[in-house]
Order: sequence, then structure tokens, then C-alpha cells
Amino acid sequence: MTENRKNKQVIRRHSAHAMIIHWFNTVCWGVLLVTGLGLVDNPVLQPLGMWWVRFVHSAFGGGAQLLRVHIVCGAIWSIGLLLYGIIFLKSATLVFIKEILTVSLKRDLRWLIKKPLTMTVGPKIMRRLGMTPEIPDQGFYNVGQKLFAIPALFGGMIIAVTGWIMTFSKQDLTGVDTVQWSILIHFITVGLVFAGLLIHIYMAAIAKGELPALISMFTGKVPADYAKHHHRFWFEEVTSQEPESDPSLR
Amino acid sequence: MKSKLTMIIDSSKCFHCKACLVACQLENQVPVGFRRNWVKVSPLDSTDGMHFQPGNCMHCDKPTCVEACPTGATYKDSRDGVVKVREDLCIGCGSCIPSCPYGARYRHPEKKIVDKCDYCASRRETGKLPACVEICPTQARLFGDLNDVNSPVARLLKSKKTVRVVNNETDTEPMIFYVNQTAPRDWPVKAEAPLPIQLWRQVAVPLVKGVTGLTGLGVLFMLGRQLVAKDEPLGHDTHDEARDIGINDREQKE
Repeated sequence: MTENRKNKQVIRRHSAHAMIIHWFNTVCWGVLLVTGLGLVDNPVLQPLGMWWVRFVHSAFGGGAQLLRVHIVCGAIWSIGLLLYGIIFLKSATLVFIKEILTVSLKRDLRWLIKKPLTMTVGPKIMRRLGMTPEIPDQGFYNVGQKLFAIPALFGGMIIAVTGWIMTFSKQDLTGVDTVQWSILIHFITVGLVFAGLLIHIYMAAIAKGELPALISMFTGKVPADYAKHHHRFWFEEVTSQEPESDPSLR
Repeated sequence: MKSKLTMIIDSSKCFHCKACLVACQLENQVPVGFRRNWVKVSPLDSTDGMHFQPGNCMHCDKPTCVEACPTGATYKDSRDGVVKVREDLCIGCGSCIPSCPYGARYRHPEKKIVDKCDYCASRRETGKLPACVEICPTQARLFGDLNDVNSPVARLLKSKKTVRVVNNETDTEPMIFYVNQTAPRDWPVKAEAPLPIQLWRQVAVPLVKGVTGLTGLGVLFMLGRQLVAKDEPLGHDTHDEARDIGINDREQKE
């Protein structure tokens, strides 16, 4: 096998259902962020500015309609993800949770220090500071991805539960104080997950060398050399088991 | 021109007939046990008589209830100065209720949303006065547009001494005036939003702004660097080269 052919090999990284749920989540988060932020119609509680509230209110034909869209979309999103999590419990959900919660402290800390430095000050300055710019090898997810996946998963659960509590406020399932705390927790959790989302979008779609990752979210496949460079432990695991086969067919 | 609906109350005229309370209850279908308006009773200092002080939502110029509402359901209408509740936006969280120094709000037991005096909005649409004003036999309640210089309320406010009933710590600038003197004056409570709303304002907004702002700046910085330092190899590229020529430390892999 020539080096050239090897480089053009592709490895299955995402199943079709994983890609669907990813883009389903993307669309829902987009709608929920736009509408949710627009619902905070109060200058002392609104973080972005009242221009956003006015813009979204007029785009959705008023606050009541906006609230309805937010609630319906939130219901579709949370029920959709819950069903996905249950249906693919063994093949995806538990594998995912295990993967994102498995860290190798020393290696991952080194990754967390070096990777942002290569992205900001750059390898030249790192070398000048006496630091090698080589970053430690990683598995299916690197620790940066894990650090976003954890708040996305558990933050998402918090956001969904607090959202349902607010939705059922008028059914008196909980006291009003629980509703008030839910609004606050909902807001903070979304804010923090959104900060992670900014990095996720940049790292996965814009950063140099990451185009294969973005494409893989549509095709499900990554080039072998990309996998080798970015997720070496996963690459070695996949290629050592059945080098010629497509893992998705297993 | 925008109007500013105001009530001027001569509490010395009130003899506690409770007609305003009943009229309001009926007009606004206020459930039993709740109320949109009130009459405070207190003994007079000089004689053994009583003093009666009618009141309702003060439609404050600095409404703390509006500041506490997360959805904008409670708002001060800039067209007429009335503090209103958009029923379809109220999620019934009740944050506004303790934020009112006057206890002018309650959570409707059936609708589960907040209800309060709106100066009988539906009556006013048909050109009528608020029910409590119209029914008062001694005309203790005077209602009108303060911005109209010829209105009775504007003229009365100019010609007579008036007082307002406020909490000393949290003056919400109430828009109900009492002619000459009234009692009691010390009953409004400190306007305090529930703790989650206070934390939202004081902690959550700066926190979320700070974290997302710094993250956004970080991303912009990385993007800028990516555009400027185009030819610089990335860490993992050199990593792989290093590995290929065998100088990478294998201890990294446990």
C-alpha cells in the first residue's frame, strides 16, 4: 500500500443517526437561543440588549407567539433527544457518556495547556518559551471536545428540566419559588453552554485543519490521516482491530 | 400627546362604605379572598374617630414590579402610564408580587397568572371611569390625565397640597396622591424582588456576559491569528513529523 493510497483511506466516525441528532440539535439550539434570548424582555435582566428583544419580538409577531415557538421547539428538542438517548442507549448513549467522562489527567492537562497555546501564541513563541508545541495524542474525542460534551449533555438536561418546570408553571406542579429558581438556572446554564458552543463552532468548523471534522458531520467519514493526527488512540484502535473493514458495518 | 393616568384621593372623604371594593371585585371578576384595591383603616390622633385610606396599584413611575418581571409581561405602558400585565406573556412565576411595596398584586387562583389593577382598562375603552371612581358616593377618588393641564387631577394637584404613601427605603414614585394628609403612611414594605431575580441581575448577567464575552474574544483572537499566521505549521503536524523520525516520547502513551 503506497503512502498516497493510505492517506486517501477513510474511516467511519459517525453513524447516520448520530449525524441526524447532531443537526437536529443544532437547528433546535439555534431557534431556542434566538427566541429564548428574545424572551428576556427586561433591560436589567437582558444580557445582549433590548434591540435584540425588539428585533425578535417583531420577527415572530409579538411576545406571546415568541413564547409559544420557544416552548414548542423546546418540547420537540427535549423529547427528541430523550427518545434518541433511550433508543440508542447501548450503541450510542452509554458509549458516548463513557467516552466523554474518561480522562487521562496528566496527558489531558498537558493537552489543555498546549492546544490553546498553539492556537493563540503559536508554536514559534511556545518554542521560544522552552515548550515543545507537540500536543499529546487523544482518543475518539480530545479533552477539549470532552470538556464541551460534558456541559452540553448535563447542561442540556438542566436546561430541559428547568424549561419544563417553567412551562408547567400554570399547572402548579411546583411552587412559584421553584419556578423562579428555574428561570435563573435556565439562563445561567444556557449562557455557559453557549460560551462552550462558540469554541465548539470555531474548533470544529473554522479552525485550520478542521475541515474534515465538519465534513464528517455530513458524510460520517474522516480521512485516515486526519484520524491519525487528531485522534490517534481511536485511529489505532480502529485500524488494529479490523484494518480493512468499515466499523459501521460491524 | 402621551397621557399619564393618575388618581388623587381625598381620604378624609372616605367613610368606609366599601362600595369601591365591591365594584372592583365585580367589574374585574376578582376571586373571593383576593383584591385589586383596598381601604386601610387607622384611628385618628385627635379624636376617637377613624381614618380611612382607599388605595390600589399606585402605577409607580419607578415600578419595581416591572424590574422584577423576567418576560416583560408586567410593563408600564408609556402611552398612559398604567402598569399592566400581558396575560399571554405572564408565566405565573410570581416574581413581581413581593417586588411591590403595596401588595397590589396577587396570583390568580384559576388563571395562575398575576392580576392587578389596570384602572379598569376595558371600561375605559368604552369611555367610562374606573369602577371604583364611578361608584364612590363622596367622590373621594378623582381620576384623570395628569399631562392634560386642564384636567381636574392636574388642577387639583397644582392647587392643593398632596402627599404620597411610600416606603422610605424604596421610593417607587407612586402615581397616587392623597389630598392634604392621610394615614397610615408607614405601611408599604420594602420592595424586594425574589432572590433568584436579584441574583440574575447582580450575578448571572455579569457572569454570562463575562464568560461569553471572553470566550468570544478568544475565538476572535484565534481566528485573527489563523488568518495572519497562515503558513505556520500546527502543533499536531510537527507532532507527527517528530513521531515519524522517532523523537517523540513514548511515555506519553501510558
